[in-house]
Amino acid sequence: MELERRRVLRMGGAVAAGAGLTALTACSGTGATGQEGAAGDKDKGKISVWSWQGPAAEMKALVPEFNKKYPGIEVTVEDIGNPAIWDKITTGLAANGQGLADVLHIGVDYLPGYVEKFPGGLADLGPLGANAYRDAFAQGMWQTVSPDGKRVNALPWEANSAGFYYRADLFEKAGVDAEALQTWEETIEAGKEIKQKTGAHLLGIDKPASQADAANFFQMLLQLQGAFYFSLSGEITLDSPEAVKAMTLIKTMNDAGLVSDLAGGWNALMSSLKQGTAAVLPMPTWFGGIIQEQVPEEAGKWKVRLPPAVRRGGSSAATVNSTHLAVAGASKHQAAAWSFVEFVLTRPASQVQIYKGKGIAPALMKAYDDAVFHEPSPYFSGQRKGEVFLEALKAPSPAFNYTADYARALKLVTDAQSKVLLGGADPAKVLKDAADQLGRQTGRKVRR
Amino acid sequence: MTATLTGGKPRAVASRGPAPRSRPRRRVAPYLFVLPALLLFAVFKIYPIGRSFVISLHKTVGGSERFVGADNYTRLMGDPLFWTALKNTAVILVVQVPVMLALATGLAVALNSTLLRGRALFRLGFFLPMITGLVAYGIVFSVLLGKDYGLVNWLLGLAGLDPVPWLTDPLWAKVSLGLALTWHYTGYNAVILLARLQTVPAELYDAAAVDGAGAWTSFRHVTLPGLRPALLLTTVLSTIGTLQIFDEPYVLTGGGPDNATLTIGVYLYQNAFKYFDFGYASAIAYALAVLIGILGVIQFRFLGDKS
Repeated sequence: MELERRRVLRMGGAVAAGAGLTALTACSGTGATGQEGAAGDKDKGKISVWSWQGPAAEMKALVPEFNKKYPGIEVTVEDIGNPAIWDKITTGLAANGQGLADVLHIGVDYLPGYVEKFPGGLADLGPLGANAYRDAFAQGMWQTVSPDGKRVNALPWEANSAGFYYRADLFEKAGVDAEALQTWEETIEAGKEIKQKTGAHLLGIDKPASQADAANFFQMLLQLQGAFYFSLSGEITLDSPEAVKAMTLIKTMNDAGLVSDLAGGWNALMSSLKQGTAAVLPMPTWFGGIIQEQVPEEAGKWKVRLPPAVRRGGSSAATVNSTHLAVAGASKHQAAAWSFVEFVLTRPASQVQIYKGKGIAPALMKAYDDAVFHEPSPYFSGQRKGEVFLEALKAPSPAFNYTADYARALKLVTDAQSKVLLGGADPAKVLKDAADQLGRQTGRKVRR
Repeated sequence: MTATLTGGKPRAVASRGPAPRSRPRRRVAPYLFVLPALLLFAVFKIYPIGRSFVISLHKTVGGSERFVGADNYTRLMGDPLFWTALKNTAVILVVQVPVMLALATGLAVALNSTLLRGRALFRLGFFLPMITGLVAYGIVFSVLLGKDYGLVNWLLGLAGLDPVPWLTDPLWAKVSLGLALTWHYTGYNAVILLARLQTVPAELYDAAAVDGAGAWTSFRHVTLPGLRPALLLTTVLSTIGTLQIFDEPYVLTGGGPDNATLTIGVYLYQNAFKYFDFGYASAIAYALAVLIGILGVIQFRFLGDKS
């Protein structure tokens, strides 16, 4: 104990100053993206990839092949899980990229928020070579990853179209021709027949909105009309006539007793699927793989088509969501990370393999040249399932502006829907309230 | 500490021999011992507390932080969801906390009773929920309270009753939340009360008995006054805990349905990590801290020891 007090104080001061410094750099906001030379080597380095369940498994499976081309890059794919991955990415970005993986798998619902709230958090893929693939993806995808046409925030992976998976056997038993349904109004009438003759509900919704997914069906009805929560210029359109129409359809179904309650989210959905509670699953492309996986014994009972239009003659095609691979702005191996992203997303062979594994639909249009998208599916009664969705991808589909405030909008929408489904509230009124509330929260204008 | 050592003549130290060679040197050790704790406290408590106040005065606009003064606080006052969260939290505070503390008091008295065999086992049993992992407990409750396949509804069905929408109806969701909280924390509070109960001298009960007091009278006039400091402690702790409550609604209901179980903690979390609105979330945190402070002072005023 020969330390003198002054020395102790000096030491303490140094540590405190050190802590202060780290804190300062941590707060400096946009810095530390390391533009100078952070790109690293294109074919050397150690990179990590964050994704979830199915896609993570499929990327893992691609690594050996990737290493044949890039033996110098060591790839670790981590299955963070969905939705856990969003919190993890948020915290990482808020900490200026500390602890983030090099490659991040990001849904379209989160991408604009990350880009707007954490500038520099994601690397600009343009200089790394992304611009070469500008026209390689499904419609609207490039606008999603590069809204200003300059910065490329990510590269598109999945493009999910709205689908209408249905139990052909139940429809048959009720004497309804599912392929002939043109509008959702007709579908509701069909649903009444089905309920009466088979006891099955038309479809299920997570009525108390235990998960944010609860609004997926509402959102699909909105997107089928080419509408969304925000206009392309960012104004709030939550209570547009299209939205009121969509919510009114849901209320009509519910009042007629055609909607089963999927309270509890994913698990409830899976048990409903296994018990055959609902005749229709209005789910996007990727859900076909889930049905096949969960109820393999029901092969031949299922069919799929594009959803009926909301208004007669309206569109039955909509890209309801998409996912993307981005490179962290703080990554020291951006070039190597880009090599992996490029290998997974722009090479048709990779996407074909992923489609075979999990039925995940690529946004890469060239992938659809492969025969696998045009084969009849024994599970779906010999239908060419791939072609059904390809038709939707090729149809003109508007781009949707998710904005950085999507999460807020979604929360208000799910609350409004709960009010309608649990309390019988008036769709027009709850949507107007939600739009006003969103306007107050975000300072955005409500378009009326 | 320093004052007693420097002030006056050296006491115990002096008796050991000549005056210490150099006092400053001897006084380094205590500082060294507390230094790590102080540093950790500064880095992980004081700094974040200060920093979050600064953040609460800012708003992220187009990726850069802009100073907006008290804007986040005025926005808070006019935010119906904040008031909903506050109301929900207040309901838990007013309904669940007294029920739980009454239960805990009864439990403590029962566990203190010499008539009870295997008291240690019971004490352990009631305390165990406290150390149960949050996720495990959340899952157990959602399995118990599930509407269609939940155990509770199955039992109700056996008794010929209709299923209860435990987690999906706004009112029942509040009830479920209260049940879960009570299950989780009653034993914990009972243990604190029990510890205090054991300091109440047995003579007081004897004296009361001699004066002809029955069980209820001696409970009212001996046990309760004896428990007063422990009751104050558990009340204040429960108040703070309730105001900060996050885990249970997050795991059980996600704050739903339609915000029926939205608490201030959940709302704070949503704003920070779902909407990336860190400035507003920090303002909520500060509003919460002020509330806890006010309630704490009030409780000390009313329940505190007058001496």
